[in-house]
Amino acid sequence: MERRGHLILCVDDEVVGLRVRKILLERAGYKVLTAPDGRSGLELFASEPVAAVVLDYAMPGMHGGEVAKRMRDAKPDVPILLLSAYVGLPDEVSSLVDVYMTKGEGAPALLSKLGDLLSSDDASYPQAAQARP
Amino acid sequence: MVLPVVACLALAAVLVWQIRNATSTVSLIETSDRRIALATRVELLTIDEETGLRGYQTTGDPRFLEPYTKAEMQLAQAIDEMRSPAIGAPIDLSDFLIQHDAWRKGFAEPVISMVHAGGQTNDIALNLAGKDEMDRMRGALNVIIQGSEQRRTERIRLWHQQTRDLRVAVTMLALTIGLLIAWFTRDQLHAVSDAFQRALDREKLRGKELFESEQNLRTTLVSIGDGVITCDTRGCIQMMNRVAEELTGWAESEARGKPLDEVFAIVNESTRQTVESPVAKVQRLGRVVGLANHTVLIRRDKSEIAIDDSGAPIRNEAGDLIGIVMVFRDVTMERRTHAALLANERLAVAGRLAATIAHEIHNPLDSVANLLYLLQHDPRPEDEAHFLDLAQSELARVTQISRAMLGLYRESRAPVPIDLKETIEEVLLLLEGRIHALDIHLTSQLPPDVVIDGFPAELRQVFTNLITNAIEAAGKDGSVRIRVMPQHKLPSSPAGPPVDGAIIEITDSGPGIPPDVRDRLFQPFVTTKGEQGTGLGLWVSQGIVRKLGGSIDLAPNVDGPGTTARVFLASKPTLNPGGE
Repeated sequence: MERRGHLILCVDDEVVGLRVRKILLERAGYKVLTAPDGRSGLELFASEPVAAVVLDYAMPGMHGGEVAKRMRDAKPDVPILLLSAYVGLPDEVSSLVDVYMTKGEGAPALLSKLGDLLSSDDASYPQAAQARP
Repeated sequence: MVLPVVACLALAAVLVWQIRNATSTVSLIETSDRRIALATRVELLTIDEETGLRGYQTTGDPRFLEPYTKAEMQLAQAIDEMRSPAIGAPIDLSDFLIQHDAWRKGFAEPVISMVHAGGQTNDIALNLAGKDEMDRMRGALNVIIQGSEQRRTERIRLWHQQTRDLRVAVTMLALTIGLLIAWFTRDQLHAVSDAFQRALDREKLRGKELFESEQNLRTTLVSIGDGVITCDTRGCIQMMNRVAEELTGWAESEARGKPLDEVFAIVNESTRQTVESPVAKVQRLGRVVGLANHTVLIRRDKSEIAIDDSGAPIRNEAGDLIGIVMVFRDVTMERRTHAALLANERLAVAGRLAATIAHEIHNPLDSVANLLYLLQHDPRPEDEAHFLDLAQSELARVTQISRAMLGLYRESRAPVPIDLKETIEEVLLLLEGRIHALDIHLTSQLPPDVVIDGFPAELRQVFTNLITNAIEAAGKDGSVRIRVMPQHKLPSSPAGPPVDGAIIEITDSGPGIPPDVRDRLFQPFVTTKGEQGTGLGLWVSQGIVRKLGGSIDLAPNVDGPGTTARVFLASKPTLNPGGE
């Protein structure tokens, strides 16, 4: 369960869901920033050295697809994991992000996919991440 | 026409002339008779003269001479008469007068003188001379008489001739007149018979036309794709076409004269109660009537078909009701299609909701799953109570949503009391995701305890449809207002249908409905949403509301853009199956 303390940005309008996800990721060794909507998420994304983003799709104001697009424009290298409560999302949205998964797939799936993202990201850098347990 | 009359007149003139001829001949015969009579009288008078003279000659008594003198006087008179023009052509008396004069002067007067003088007159020679004189005189008279008689005979013959001619003429006239009458009547008869024949031909032609027109009508009736039955005013069947035969299972020949109810037995699809006969209904209302909805025809073999029917009065020229015609058709397939469309729309509503519901369920489920993972893999005593609380409240959300979703499908058979506030809040819960996603500014005015009777699943479907429409119309950052307004019947209001119930108003701030669509809003497959809509939502909603005896309408907002949907629902609805 040892992590290097990557900074993860979680964006979701679901208050409870966001809170639980933050605890889950922190217990998994990450540092976590949270934002309740797309706009504040983008601000944090711009100002903080975020390693990866866990983004909710259905949000008021600006949906996850739009947020992901702007993040890609700003920092194209930061991996984005799009979470959605909907079963099917438009192709142009799912192709924009690195990983797309449905809410309810469970914590192990989220952690493993996030870990994969960061390790493949690390592989492109000298300080390659070590394999997850 | 003129010629026969002229001929008749000519014949009549001939007849008159002949009659006149005959009449003059008769008068000529009478003249002859008178001449003969006169001549005979003259002869008798000469005999009287002779007799008187003889008596005086024998007796010498002047009294015996009296016939002589008397006859002499009468003779002069008779001779005058014979000479008068009254007896026709004058008779040649000269011979007789000479002889008579000769006798009188030569014999009679000397004899009288001699007797008077007392002389003897017995002398034979003298008397013989007198007798000769007398015979000659009589001979002359006889010539006259014979001449007259001969002429009379000739005249009688002429008369006979004339009578014969007259008979011929009369016969001819009679014949001519008879012929004329015959000819004339024959002409008249011809005219009458011609007129009769023409009238007959006309009638025949009209009959033929009538027959053809009736055949035409019959063919039309027979070819009509709908069943047609006509009844008299007592409700007995007069005619039915082939489709009617097929639908009822009765042959026209068997059904004719039977009461309609026997052949055309109709019941309500759901209640199984006999539906009022269209004949009775038409007689009661005197106008075209439609059949109650959800009517089922029980065929002769007891199988059933759903029918749609209308009845209309048949009136004569005076406007009296002389029968009833019914037109009906098999709508079994239509009803099935209708049912399929309803099911389809319910599925579409569910499909549209599925995404929202997935969102609403997956969010709490995700939290619960994460919490369970934490409790399992990283158990910390200080977390436990807090995590379990969170998990429970998240699960409660799921349960609530799933119950609201189930409400869309659970169908109750009879109307149940429905709290409008609860129901609408449940629907809003299901739609929360979408309302949230579009930043809809939602205001609602939902007073508690407004309860109406209805079918919960169906009403949820109506509200889901209307609120979804409002949300989609309002669009991003738009606003939707939902109001429930209880309606109470005013005690002072005039008698009428009860108005106890509620009005549900859903107002959006959208662009409004295009005018060209507005009239067709409640028709199936009409949509303003392109590929996204089925075009069945309002159609189904209207069916549901109308079934509950309520009403639904959409109107542009008066105080701004957008649309207001207004639904009226009665507290205690009279069910109106079929909703039409």
